[in-house]
Formats: sequence, C-alpha cells, structure tokens
Amino acid sequence: MALKKKKRRKVNDELAITSMMDMMTIILVFLLKSYSTNDVSVAASADLQLPSSTAAKAPELSVNLVVSKSQIVVDGVPVLNLTMVPDEETGEDLLAVPEDEKKGQMITRLYDRLLEKAEQSKALGEASGSTEHEFKGRILLQCDKTLPFSVIREVMYTAGQAQFGEFKFVVYKQE
Amino acid sequence: MAHRRGHEEVPLDLVPIMNLVTILIPFLLMSAQFVHLAVIDSTLPAIGPPQETPEEDDEPPLMLSIAITDQGFTVLGDNGVVTGDPDAEGEAAAAPVEGEEAEPTVPCSERPCSGPESYDYEELTRLIGLIKDEYPDDENVILVPESRIPYEVIVGTMDSAREDSETKGDDGKARELFPFVVIAGGAQ
Repeated sequence: MALKKKKRRKVNDELAITSMMDMMTIILVFLLKSYSTNDVSVAASADLQLPSSTAAKAPELSVNLVVSKSQIVVDGVPVLNLTMVPDEETGEDLLAVPEDEKKGQMITRLYDRLLEKAEQSKALGEASGSTEHEFKGRILLQCDKTLPFSVIREVMYTAGQAQFGEFKFVVYKQE
Repeated sequence: MAHRRGHEEVPLDLVPIMNLVTILIPFLLMSAQFVHLAVIDSTLPAIGPPQETPEEDDEPPLMLSIAITDQGFTVLGDNGVVTGDPDAEGEAAAAPVEGEEAEPTVPCSERPCSGPESYDYEELTRLIGLIKDEYPDDENVILVPESRIPYEVIVGTMDSAREDSETKGDDGKARELFPFVVIAGGAQ
C-alpha cells in the first residue's frame, strides 16, 4: 500500500512538457520564416528612423555611414555630434553640423575618418588581388528621415572628397 | 507482470528535442530580421568616377531634373519647365523662371508644404510617366532639393521618379521610369 502511494505521486510530479513543445514548435517555424543572412544591419533607435521606399535592391557590405538625429557614426565609431541651428529664413530649428567642424562644405573630422577607411579598403583590395574586393568607392548611407537636405549634402560632399562616389541610401523596404 | 507491462503506455521522451529547440530558438532569434532593408543607388556627378556615356547624338539628352521646394515639385527638362498639359507647355516655357515665385509644376496639397505627406507623389509619377513616353531611352534624373527639405521627401521623390507601381509592364513588374538618380548640390 505504501509502495503504491509513492508511485502515484511520482507520476503527478512529472513535468507536462507537451504544451511547451507545441509552443516551441510554433516559435521555431516563425523564426525560421524570418531568418535571414543579411550582412547589413540597422540599429534602430529613436534617433535613427530610416525612410521607407519601394526600392528592392538588396544591400551589400561596404563602409557604413550613419547620420542620426544626434551624431555621425562611421562603421560603429562616433565621429561628431550634430547641433540644432535656427534656420536663416524661417527661424525654425534645424539639425546642422557645427560650424567649427566644417571647412566650407567639408566636414573635416568625417573626411579624415573616411579617407582612412578608403585607404584601408584599397589596401585590402590590393592584398586580396581579386576584382571582387576591389575598392569601388561604395558607401552605405543610413540617414534619419527627418534630416534636412543641407546635412545630407555636406555628408555626401565630404564622402565624395574622400573618394566615395557611389552612394547607397539604406531604406526600409515597403511590403 | 510481463503481460501488464506490454499494455502500459510508454511516455514519449521529449527532453532531447526540448534541448535542441531551446538552443535553436536563441540562435534563430539572433539572426531573425523583422524589417527588410533595401538600397537606392546614387552617384555624385562631379566627383564620382568618370562614367562612359555612349555617344549617340541623334537627339539631345533630356536632362530631366526635379527641383524640390517647400511649395512642391518643379520638373525641368532641357528646354525649361515641363508641365503635364501639352497646351500650357509653350506658355510655361516662355514664362520667366528666374523668380522664386515661379509656380511649381506639382504643388503640395497645402502651401507651404506642412510635411512629407503633403507632397503629391502620385501626380509627379503621372507627369514623369508622360515625359517617359516622349523620351523612352532616357534613364537619368537629377534631383535638386532645397536645403530644408527632409530626407524622407527626397527618398519619396526618388521612388516616384524610379518606377510607376500603378502601371505594370509586360513582365508584370512596375513600369520603370528614370531609375538612375543623381542628387545635385542644390541651391545654397
């Protein structure tokens, strides 16, 4: 009798794993569906909201230039901060690159960093010896959708001076 | 005893599968992508590497450009402002375009434009479609945005100029208009 009672309790204690398995199978299928091997990733934040577009071209890996509402980042390393400057005509506050960081339209610190990147990619391309890795002046531009064109123009100009002439504007793909 | 054991249901041992699944889930979560990215190509006209343009001088290139201002879009061709209305075209081309008060070709729904939504992208696509009918071989468009124009509007304009999603081509894809976008320096 005592033995029988002990056995029953053991059965009740067993973990009911089937329902958990059901859940996990569903999650697994869902995650497999959204699995992707894209090499470009975006760290979304309140300061960086990309615009959406009907473009369908897949991004490829190259130098990554991020212009958010607060700062400019090259390949994950912050370069400089942006400030709010009142617009000459409307008096409205607009984002801008601080005047002391600029020489004409060129953003000097960004130029130095990009030139360094260009030299690195060139050296890499030469070392690999294949045309596939050759330096082509490609640059991925991730810009916040509210940025005024004046900032983007200066960034593009600076990148152009640093031998990056092929711009890839990263956008969210519309479904 | 042996007889009884034969009828006993042996519970399926799911623990190894559980182990496998619990390892797979974090891995897949890491590589899951919930937003899909795309890129829009553009080059710098003056600074980019020299591109070979095939010299076939049958007719002058269109040099289609779209100026984006806080009033709307102004579409310019090689011979002045292009309008959708063929009757008005001569008139518009004859009119002086030097003043800033010149009427935009595709005005915003409210003026000055209050935000990215008030730009009339559909009308711009329709107008560019008409231009494409006349110049089927041209593929380049130059954007000339004002300094204050938000990036979102520029991307929207590139989309409108690149393809017409309403009209399908023979292959079922959206009709391609002017896929090669160049962004000009713009007015200072």
